[in-house]
Amino acid sequence: MKPNALLQLHPMTKFYFSLFILAVVLIVPGYWFAFSVFLGLVAISLLAGVFKEFIGIVLKALVSVLVIVFLMQIFFFPGEQVLWRWWIFEIKQEGVYYGLILTSRILAIGSAFVLFFRMTEVRDFVKSLEDKGMPPMGAYVVLSTLQIIPEMRRQANTIMEAQKTRGVETEGSLFVRAKAFIPTLTPLILSSIAGTEERALTLESRAFSAPVKKTSLHKLTKSRADRILPILFVLIILGLLVWRVVLWQTS
Amino acid sequence: MKRSFKDDFSLMAMLLIPIGVAINIVGFQLTNVLRLPIFLDTIGTILVGVIAGPWVALLAGLITNLINAIFNPVYLPYALTSMAIGVGAGLLSKFGFFKNVPKTIISVIVITLIAVVVSAPITVLVFGGATGNTSSLITATFLASGQQLWTAVFSSSFIVEIADKVVSVLIVFFIVKGMSDRYLSKLKYGHLYMKRRNRS
Repeated sequence: MKPNALLQLHPMTKFYFSLFILAVVLIVPGYWFAFSVFLGLVAISLLAGVFKEFIGIVLKALVSVLVIVFLMQIFFFPGEQVLWRWWIFEIKQEGVYYGLILTSRILAIGSAFVLFFRMTEVRDFVKSLEDKGMPPMGAYVVLSTLQIIPEMRRQANTIMEAQKTRGVETEGSLFVRAKAFIPTLTPLILSSIAGTEERALTLESRAFSAPVKKTSLHKLTKSRADRILPILFVLIILGLLVWRVVLWQTS
Repeated sequence: MKRSFKDDFSLMAMLLIPIGVAINIVGFQLTNVLRLPIFLDTIGTILVGVIAGPWVALLAGLITNLINAIFNPVYLPYALTSMAIGVGAGLLSKFGFFKNVPKTIISVIVITLIAVVVSAPITVLVFGGATGNTSSLITATFLASGQQLWTAVFSSSFIVEIADKVVSVLIVFFIVKGMSDRYLSKLKYGHLYMKRRNRS
């Protein structure tokens, strides 16, 4: 399989692209633009071959939020022009407009970040931050967090099963379920905290805090596109800002 | 004993961050499994603040929301809330506000206020008032009864946050009580919670 050119970009370039989308969407007025940015992101995800994961997360995480945000605006945004009325509910023109602006922006910015994490391995991103000057300790913390979460999730299940056998109820009324929370969480926290001492010993025995320059097995390279694209992003943003200011002064 | 800013980030403190973040995320998932109406997604941040200080907790809060945002970008703006809660918990701990139950209750109130004051503006400005969790329903009810948007969001998030923070802070209080002196002695504010101190 040929490596995908978009996925091969330096993580920082992809990150700048997400920030670029954020800035552009906030600068350009109107909802048509933000919705077309989203379509552009969908096209990028197709080209990068991450369409399935991308759209899955957008649908699962964002759409329900967008529906609620939109409903809130059309019913409760203060306005004069009433489009539709039923009992205490009123749909107003201004609310529909503001709702569309807000949802289109959240959709565009949110999916830009979803796309970023679909196209970038967290490992590569952390490495590129380290190259930018983040201490190696920070990189270790982020990566080990990602490892610990599934581990602790498994442990939480084990503890919950064990407490069930002891007779702690996890089904039933709200109060019964709430009571099951503490006997699951407390042992989980105390046991994982006890594990950090061993981790510290292991790391120190490998000179983790030694004040020397660390060498890394994992290397990232920058291509020509990685040097040109960030400059291009900045130029477009500056252009849009100038356009916005001119538009604002002539109106 | 004067400690510099850099000393806050000792190896033990840094190793506590992944645990704190994982507690936040696993705690939140447990509330989903048990179908509880609160989130309990700041237990780890508060815990880190109490024993390792405000700056370490700030990092823990930030990382929690960044990792949550990988799968749901709605969490991204609320990173500010998590960070503020972490700093708040750390400062409260510095002045001994987690030592006994009455003082802990004051901490609950302060942390709730921090959470509300930081998260409500985000909810209003970024999401227009609702993000689809438990408090959105309450917000909508307040709005339908004729309240202003800001008042509605502030009061609904206060109702949800106070329930959340009472449970979170009390869990932290009892967990810190259950920690061994050997472990506490290695962390910034650990000496405040060691049992031996009372004997001498």
